[in-house]
Amino acid sequence: MRRRPGIGGLQTAAAARDQYRLLGENVAKLKTDLMKEQLATFRSQLEDFARKHKNDIRKNPAFRSQFHEMCAKVGVDPLASNKGFWAELLGIGDFYYELGVQIVDICLATRLHNGGLIKLEELCKLLNQRRKSAREAVFDDDCLRAISKLKVLGSGFEVISVGKRKLVRSVPTELNKDHNEILELAQAQGFVTVEEVERRISWSSGRATDALETLLDEGLAMIDDGHRDGKRRYWFPCVSSISSYVGAETL
Amino acid sequence: MTGKWLPAAELTGSGRPVLHPGEVECSLLSSVDLECEENPNFPLFKSGLLIVTTHRLLWIPASATAAFAIPLAAVSHIFSSSSSSKKSMIKTMFASPRVRIQVSATPEGRVEEGGSRSVVITLVLRGKSDQSDSFSGKLWEAWRGRAWESAGDSGSSSGVGVGVGGVGGGGGGGVSVRMPVVGVSGILRKEQEMWESTDKSLQDAFQDLNALMSKAKEMVMLAEKMRLKLLSGSNNQASAANDEEMGSKEEMQDWLLSVGIASPVTKESAGALYHQQLSRQGVERLAVDNGKMGVIQRCGVPHYMFTLVNVVLADFVKVPIERAGGMVNLIDIYCLFNRARGTELISPEDLLQACSLWEKFDVPVMLRKFDSGVMVIQSKSYRDEELIHELQRGLPWFQLVTMTLSVFLCMSLWPAPWQALALMSHDIGVTTFALILTSKMVLLRIKSLVLKPDALRTGISASDAANYTGDCSSYG
Repeated sequence: MRRRPGIGGLQTAAAARDQYRLLGENVAKLKTDLMKEQLATFRSQLEDFARKHKNDIRKNPAFRSQFHEMCAKVGVDPLASNKGFWAELLGIGDFYYELGVQIVDICLATRLHNGGLIKLEELCKLLNQRRKSAREAVFDDDCLRAISKLKVLGSGFEVISVGKRKLVRSVPTELNKDHNEILELAQAQGFVTVEEVERRISWSSGRATDALETLLDEGLAMIDDGHRDGKRRYWFPCVSSISSYVGAETL
Repeated sequence: MTGKWLPAAELTGSGRPVLHPGEVECSLLSSVDLECEENPNFPLFKSGLLIVTTHRLLWIPASATAAFAIPLAAVSHIFSSSSSSKKSMIKTMFASPRVRIQVSATPEGRVEEGGSRSVVITLVLRGKSDQSDSFSGKLWEAWRGRAWESAGDSGSSSGVGVGVGGVGGGGGGGVSVRMPVVGVSGILRKEQEMWESTDKSLQDAFQDLNALMSKAKEMVMLAEKMRLKLLSGSNNQASAANDEEMGSKEEMQDWLLSVGIASPVTKESAGALYHQQLSRQGVERLAVDNGKMGVIQRCGVPHYMFTLVNVVLADFVKVPIERAGGMVNLIDIYCLFNRARGTELISPEDLLQACSLWEKFDVPVMLRKFDSGVMVIQSKSYRDEELIHELQRGLPWFQLVTMTLSVFLCMSLWPAPWQALALMSHDIGVTTFALILTSKMVLLRIKSLVLKPDALRTGISASDAANYTGDCSSYG
């Protein structure tokens, strides 16, 4: 295909481009076919796996979490959509989506009490109470995965770590470092006083009061002025252990 | 002589059987006969002590001179007593219970694991009836436990055949002392076996999982190439017009989604094919004018997603939105929708994709995201009302002016004004009618300000423009 000047040359160049394009499309088609084949093989392998181990995934939480970890390492997300192979063949999609719905329900039910922040263990306990009729018990890891899926819907569903514990947040309130420290401090007894905050974390009184007032506004703290020594105590239902029985009644 | 037929078992000096490492006694029965109907030369084993362990069946004669063992590994079947129901009721009532087991044997008749022949040995339980009741259950368990396999060593089964029976003198005795210990250790042994067998099946599971994941990794690498191709392709405008290539692109996104890889949804392409099946039909139902049709055809629409988007979801959200007064949290919709569905739930990502697709269609609801991250589904008429309300309060005045100018620019310069207007109204999230209405109102206001007598001299202040109340009715 010698380049010729003039209209002939242009026509030849156009013809050449067309041919290259066709070739490219063919190559693309080959790649597509290859992809189709790979996909079919993968699907059949997944079917085999599902046939043998579907029950293991459902019954054994350690295996389940290992499965998820490996998927994450490889870069696939088995819970991305309910129409994907994973959900279709392994049937785990429905389990997690339903768990998500139940988690939202529980968070909503306890929101009045704890302001939108609930301990992960308590959430799991309430979930298991609710799901008494269902066959599978849920564990922390399952809750975490379901919540990570819920995150995309906005509304602030997230798991935050306060000290050693994990809390599930269901409101879009942002907690800064100060608030986190107060919550950590509150885990010991369930309440804090301004003096305690100042003493233990060495903040100025203004800073402590400010942070506590913000938490009060958000509904995460409750005040108790009835003590003999007259000091105001700030109670945090979300981290204290007294909250566990209340939730059970309402559900 | 009897060593010919049954493997021998070692005995201690006091007549107790020597157990192999890992072997645990499970059950003990006295006055048991061993019979073999098929083998005429089978010696008489009468009234001995039968011990079921995790690995073997031990038979010790009353004299405790020699002991014999049937390795459980050689047992191929245990006949349940009910299988011999041909016997009459009376006979079974008066006869001693029998348990028949099928064991493998060599062609000569010697019981051995892995033998070519098989013989049936009958255990006649002549002892107390209450003991024999639970016996077959315990035998089943011991046999099913397959402790000799997980132990790994062959000593328990084949060693018996090779070993010479240590014949010890002395009488039997002290059997009853061992009972409680046997019970507890038997339970412990069973627990351990259960763990081991679970462990083993889990090991298999993990091996399979590893194999699966390596395959998945290959898919991911292939998918990366595809993804780059998709991204590069969508930037190239010319190729986007090619329907065939678009079809394959959507297919590719479909596959990516099946495998579980997030597909790069650009503004042009509307997601995977799986989010796509109905497309043409539904689009024709919706599209009012050609301009919109062109836009939608270029984007394509997923079948599943389309059905989800328009027919199912948009219809579904109407009721909750109305009840809530125009706006519902996306998470609440997720819960309501999934609860109503029951099975075949949708994932949060599916929901988000479906709602984002609404902006390409003329559905009366829209997705709106607030600064705090909260996402709501809002009815468009609500948004229309908001817009008109804002207009009346005069607040986002300059935004309104810009919007009006764009609208009239569209109408005067564009060859297909309605297409552009539709796009614009979708972007803002109001109906086209509301857009035009608002623009007309703004224009009238501008007109009234400009036509004021002193306008040219003093100009129009922002506060003048912002104080817009009560003139809305005169748009004509």
